Amino acid sequence: MEKDFTLIKGDGYGVLHMRNIGKYVLLIVLVAICIALSMTTPRFFTIQNLMIIVTQVSINALLAFGVTFVIITGGIDLSIGSIVAVTGVVAASFAHADTYPVIVPIGVGLLAGLLFGAFNGFVVTRTKVPPFIVTLGTMTIGRGLALILSKGRPISNLSDSFNFIGGGKVLGVPTLIIILVVFFGICTVILKKTVIGRYMYAVGGNEQAAKASGIQLSKVKMVVYTLCGGLAALAGILLTSRITTGQPNAGAGFELDAIAAAIIGGTSTSGGAGTMIGTLLGALLIGVISNGLDLLNVTSYYQQVVMGVIIIGAVVLNSLKQPSN
Amino acid sequence: MTKPRSFLINIRYADAVMASPQDYILQVRGLTKLFAGVVALDNVQLNVRMGEVHALMGENGAGKSTLMKLLIGLLKPDSGEISFDGNDLTTSHVRDVIRQGISMIHQEMLVVPELTVAQNIFLGREANGKLFSWLNDRNLTEQAAQLLKQMGVNIRPDTQMKYLSVAQMQMVEIAKAISNNAKVIIMDEPTSALSDKEVAMLFSIIIDLKKKGVAIIYISHKMEEIFTIADTITVLRDGKYIATKPAAEFDIHTLITMMVGREIDTLFPISTIQPGKEVLSVRQLSRKGKFSDINFDVHEGEVLGIAGLMGAGRTEIACAIYGLDPADGGELYIKGEKVVINAPQDAIQHGIGYVSEDRKQFGFIPRLSVRENITLASLPKYAKGLLVQAKSESEVADAMMADLRIKASSSNQPVVQLSGGNQQKVVIGKILLSSPSLIILDEPTRGIDIGAKAEIYKLINQLKEAGTAIILISSELPELLGLSDRILVVSQGKQTAVLLAKEATQETIMHYAMEP
Amino acid sequence: MKRIQLTSLSSLFFLSVLLAACSQSSTSEKSADGEGKKLVVGVTMLSMQNEFIVNVHDAMVKKAEADGVELITVDAERSALKQVEQVESFIAQKVDAIIMNPCEVEASSPAVTKALAAKIPIINVNSETSAKPTAFVGSDDVESARIAMKYIAEKLGGKGNVLMMHGYMGQAAQIKREQGAREILKQYPNLKLLAHQTGEWDRAKGMSLMENWIQSYGSQINAVFAQNDEMGLGAVKALTDAGLKDKVIVVSIDAIPDGLQAVKKGTLDATVFQNAEEQGSKAVETAVKAAKGQAYGKETLIPFQLVTKENLTKFLK
Repeated sequence: MEKDFTLIKGDGYGVLHMRNIGKYVLLIVLVAICIALSMTTPRFFTIQNLMIIVTQVSINALLAFGVTFVIITGGIDLSIGSIVAVTGVVAASFAHADTYPVIVPIGVGLLAGLLFGAFNGFVVTRTKVPPFIVTLGTMTIGRGLALILSKGRPISNLSDSFNFIGGGKVLGVPTLIIILVVFFGICTVILKKTVIGRYMYAVGGNEQAAKASGIQLSKVKMVVYTLCGGLAALAGILLTSRITTGQPNAGAGFELDAIAAAIIGGTSTSGGAGTMIGTLLGALLIGVISNGLDLLNVTSYYQQVVMGVIIIGAVVLNSLKQPSN
Repeated sequence: MTKPRSFLINIRYADAVMASPQDYILQVRGLTKLFAGVVALDNVQLNVRMGEVHALMGENGAGKSTLMKLLIGLLKPDSGEISFDGNDLTTSHVRDVIRQGISMIHQEMLVVPELTVAQNIFLGREANGKLFSWLNDRNLTEQAAQLLKQMGVNIRPDTQMKYLSVAQMQMVEIAKAISNNAKVIIMDEPTSALSDKEVAMLFSIIIDLKKKGVAIIYISHKMEEIFTIADTITVLRDGKYIATKPAAEFDIHTLITMMVGREIDTLFPISTIQPGKEVLSVRQLSRKGKFSDINFDVHEGEVLGIAGLMGAGRTEIACAIYGLDPADGGELYIKGEKVVINAPQDAIQHGIGYVSEDRKQFGFIPRLSVRENITLASLPKYAKGLLVQAKSESEVADAMMADLRIKASSSNQPVVQLSGGNQQKVVIGKILLSSPSLIILDEPTRGIDIGAKAEIYKLINQLKEAGTAIILISSELPELLGLSDRILVVSQGKQTAVLLAKEATQETIMHYAMEP
Repeated sequence: MKRIQLTSLSSLFFLSVLLAACSQSSTSEKSADGEGKKLVVGVTMLSMQNEFIVNVHDAMVKKAEADGVELITVDAERSALKQVEQVESFIAQKVDAIIMNPCEVEASSPAVTKALAAKIPIINVNSETSAKPTAFVGSDDVESARIAMKYIAEKLGGKGNVLMMHGYMGQAAQIKREQGAREILKQYPNLKLLAHQTGEWDRAKGMSLMENWIQSYGSQINAVFAQNDEMGLGAVKALTDAGLKDKVIVVSIDAIPDGLQAVKKGTLDATVFQNAEEQGSKAVETAVKAAKGQAYGKETLIPFQLVTKENLTKFLK
């Protein structure tokens, strides 16, 4: 009789297997594209080129990490590109040679991004306005602030120590790669190993269930938008450092690349699902394609078409792993 | 209907433990709640003792769910007070209420699909719910494994919730409520998706909890359950408190009368019609991993019941006939002619209608009005070119509303605002509008109160009298026995018997349902 | 109900204060004193996020203040449609003259036609439209690219491998600068265009593109022509990081302050100066003359100048 208690449908054993294959779909696509590129051009698969790809990807990846948090809770943040501009300009204005120690522009820039993100969170939690609209508004506000603060002109002549953080190398490894790896680790830990990370999945997966379990939705959302703002600020500071100038028009359209990376990486647009490794792979996929097409000297017109096709393809492949119920 | 189901252990659980006359652990006085000025709960009281099962009875809309949401802190009352174990909980946040020791099994199954079973069980209580602290998932998984084992449930705690069946999810919800070491557990329709086996398991869990002095507030529409498990019954009607009495002082008739406020005659209408010509016949139907070798016929004016345990393949057979998950073997004949059904469009074309067990997901579009939902599937009939003829659409919808006695302020009211029973009627109305010759009803009365149930039964009988063939899937055996002409029993994807309803009993059905 | 009124009232108040504060900063001039009638010129600029355009506009403001002319400036934000609407509103305001810095060759043309139909003089500054305006003040983009590419050709002795970074594909400046560069390439058959790709006028994108090219062509690269300084500076950064800057010549256009600084440091070999001040002040001057009915030049072309380390001082402010 004991056997009758076995519940027939999906006891987990069979599906666990399925799920694991699904997880690797993106990795397989990425590896396949890398192999294809290696066969067409010998210049692709070199340590140096691979480092360049990761360097170029790092800023988008950091933004994508932030937006992954937000999308997992069922929200969206369109303002990150503008936060990049605001924080870049703010950091640059404190980073002129022979003024402040390098920690000041970094600190002030991060603070600006955290405040900006907290403002997003505040409006999202205190009003019933959907995050799409709220951050669409703050996107424009941010762009305007960047122009006001910089008077429409790039801010340059930054100190060498500031230019080092996003443009230097440590033991032959670009600082951007090191920072990317560190923050990938931090974000993964936040998402998987902390209570707040768990609550992000709960809020996005089923807001009512989260509420009934005693989770304070507004606190979770505040944290998430603030975190996203902070990561965007980091990206803004690094971009400013990499191109050695704070530009008010920097980061335009970055939000779309970041959201694309998160979604290619398997983050569910309806919330409740997503991983940092997926987002990182998504960002790498975009970076590899763009680098590969440059190496192959594909005309810019075709580049855009190819990029679009591959984005849709990756998402379609990704969706195949979802059980259709 | 009046006797307890014998396949449940044939004693009254309530007698197993003597309710000790202890102090009230939970006291509710003068509780009132208004929604947009409408009184949902009016000066209600509730007193629950330690170690008792306290059933809360009332039709849908009587205010049971509102009362429970107030208790758990999801809503704040307009007046009145809630005291629990000496503390005032009247305006406490859910988090504090849970911490104080009240937990709740929600009717809507509030689970997070992407999280694992263990993560769902302990959601909101990891590291005392402190936002910035570490998780110990291994620890949680171990605790969950132990808990599930104690309950006798065979579910892996590291499985993601989305891979579970509805019944399994419900067991997890129960585990979650228990794991809190609560002093009061609210169970809102905990058995709506459970098979009888699992109900028996739940009841033995309840007995254990009672022994530990835990009080259970139990809400269910299934009368047998109430009379099996409850010690005390409180009745609400139209948001008002009616009475609280020991369960032994009620019988089914007095309870229903008190709930409905009027007498309900016979629950199952008597039909005299003889089945006519064959409408559907199914030969060797199979679908890999779900069911195999299913054979039956349904005739005009006949109700064919399908019985079986949860997961036995009942819904899967219906889905195959309707083309939602087409069969991969066997044949279907409609009025003697062989047909191929690969998608719902094919089924609709052949005059088959399907009312899903999950009406919220497949049945209706919540924000659309009653009228829009009813005409949704047959809209082209009421349109000229691209324009919907508002007048003829309204006429049809109003007529259907009157026929089915759908209670709504008007045909423009969004379906989401209706009670469960009326929502179900809207879904049936939508199907009827395409005048099908065969209707498949999958758990048509799940979560519906007794008054509305009686009306649905009447409706099924009317359809039958009009010569429609009906396939009725239900977990409630009295319902199957009372309405069907013949009953097909399935067990683990195989057909084990076709019984004449007149000759069948709950025992014989269960015998075949559990046949390996 | 009361609360809603209160919030809407207070937000209205807030809004009006905000608007008042903003408008103060743009038209700071107080009402015209003495003269009674002050000329009003409507100005619509391609994008106030572009440094060169901002410089042109600053020169206009300076000149207008000196001449006692009132400027009403609006930003078309790179949208030709918006620009046409802005010109329509200038016409409705009955300004004395309009200065337009067109967004697009074709799509901004209706603005010219409408202004002329309303008998308001319209002056195109910096770039052209297909419809002929009252007057044009600007420089010929084709010429700027000729100057830049010619410098590369001479430095390389007419022989070598060149890369070209485009601006946004399809924009007038990109088309013309490509045209000028290709004219020179044709004259030097031994000058080979290895690859060309868009860097979208952006420094970070130019830098990434250069990094990828370095992977592709490495030491084969002799020179890079970037269609603006931003991309040129991105290329310089990538080449410096790769330790190749000494071997590769980088030339770009616009002579923005950062570009001049780079020329001073010797990292950017040359840039081409487009005279923003001249364009701005000549545009206002022409507009005033046209509005007063005085004689004016139909086409004022301001010459480009090559900026190298040798003649740098006269461009540095």
